[in-house]
Amino acid sequence: MLILSLIWLGLGVVIGGVALAARLAPARWGRLGWLGALALGAIAALAGGWLGSTLLDRIEASLVAVWVSILAVSVVGLLARRQHGMPTVE
Amino acid sequence: MQRAQVTTTQPSLAPARKRRGWRRWTALVARGALALAFIATLLLTVTPTGRAGVRAALILPALLTATEPPPLLIAGDPIRHTQRSIASQDGPVYLDIYAPTMPPPPIPGTRQGLLLISGVGDNRGVPQFVNLAQSLARSGVVAMTMTTYTLMGYTLAPATVDAVVQATLALQHTPGVNSRDVGIVGLSAGGALGAMAAADPRIRDTLGFVLTFGGYFDATNLLRDMGRRALMVDGKLVPWQPDPVPIQALANTIALTLPGADQSLIYSGFNTINGLSLSPADQARLSPAGQAAYHLLVGDEPDRVAANLAALPPQGHTLLASLSPSSVVAQIHAKVYLLHDQSDIYVPYTESRDFAAALTRLGHPHEFVEFSIFQHVEVKSGLGIGQTLHDGWSLYQILVATLGAGA
Repeated sequence: MLILSLIWLGLGVVIGGVALAARLAPARWGRLGWLGALALGAIAALAGGWLGSTLLDRIEASLVAVWVSILAVSVVGLLARRQHGMPTVE
Repeated sequence: MQRAQVTTTQPSLAPARKRRGWRRWTALVARGALALAFIATLLLTVTPTGRAGVRAALILPALLTATEPPPLLIAGDPIRHTQRSIASQDGPVYLDIYAPTMPPPPIPGTRQGLLLISGVGDNRGVPQFVNLAQSLARSGVVAMTMTTYTLMGYTLAPATVDAVVQATLALQHTPGVNSRDVGIVGLSAGGALGAMAAADPRIRDTLGFVLTFGGYFDATNLLRDMGRRALMVDGKLVPWQPDPVPIQALANTIALTLPGADQSLIYSGFNTINGLSLSPADQARLSPAGQAAYHLLVGDEPDRVAANLAALPPQGHTLLASLSPSSVVAQIHAKVYLLHDQSDIYVPYTESRDFAAALTRLGHPHEFVEFSIFQHVEVKSGLGIGQTLHDGWSLYQILVATLGAGA
């Protein structure tokens, strides 16, 4: 599970990076917003991976990690923008 | 002055606009990629077909390369291998069970069970066969292989069908396995045994599916093809040279219906070059029925195949019928998957064509795929990419269909 957890963290970092390129990270997070987006993606992927391996099977857990991570970075970004009407990190 | 302003501000605005435009496009592409990845991974994990697709995608490379690929080793379940034996009309049934060490996940709450029958010979240690069972187990399936002394002795017997039924029942009662989500996967002669077991009243209504790969449909037709060393394909005879293994398996089987002296003579003629060969003197010592069986097996009287078949003892005809799925095809209730390689030198692919035709006539749900990347049931080496992709896609679809119910 250690290797899988590291893979999920890596997947989450990549998804966080794509979310930054998609301008989903809220500008309210400041100059280190990019780091927050990467960390959010990684933590959500790790949580999604563990959830997937618990509810489904290890073989599907990585895919659950991907969609949970995308969901997390997207929802957090959209909520932050709607609540504060602030632009996203460019 | 105005002219000077225009010439100084215009170049600085254009790159900024370009940058903004480029960023907008990058953001759109990234959002599109995230949306696609989200939808794809969500569908692949929340729908049964999607989960079957994921499992099939990880198992397929294992089948084509005959090794467990790293993604399956890393992402798959840790597995446990246990052995046990159960009683049957064919004596002890030796079971090798490859199962995930973890209990079934809450979704779907149970595991699928697959009974793998490798055919004649002791194949329990054959790397490709073990690889298949391990790959299935890593993907979350409880894979059970079975054999008997009869099969290990390269012989087919009607009692072995009971052994298959007993093994299926044992798998259906394995903790964590969904009893209605158990399928039989029969390779080579194991396919025929699996199909006959699928017609047995004890399991025919609870069996998920039966898959035969390189199996025969009618043992008499198989012996006929062997006798004329040719196959009837679309109304034309096509030369066919069988491997020594099916010759010996059929010889062992038919010899049981011949006098004892014939049996000893036939067994003494076994070899690894052409399967069976006796001196003219030994041939003359065989009974008329023994001589008919011998000529059918060695294929040296292709023009007298019908007469030699007719000369077999009545018990021989009864035995061949009782070993043929063709005699019980109407009693099979589960869906049937037929896989066969066109260059098979163990069992002619026309056997699966006949099986598919019979199922079509009966209106029975089935799928039939002919391959060209296998030799009998093992993957050939040095295959072209086009051929591998074409047959690999067909194999993937069969995997998704068979793993679908359990996902």
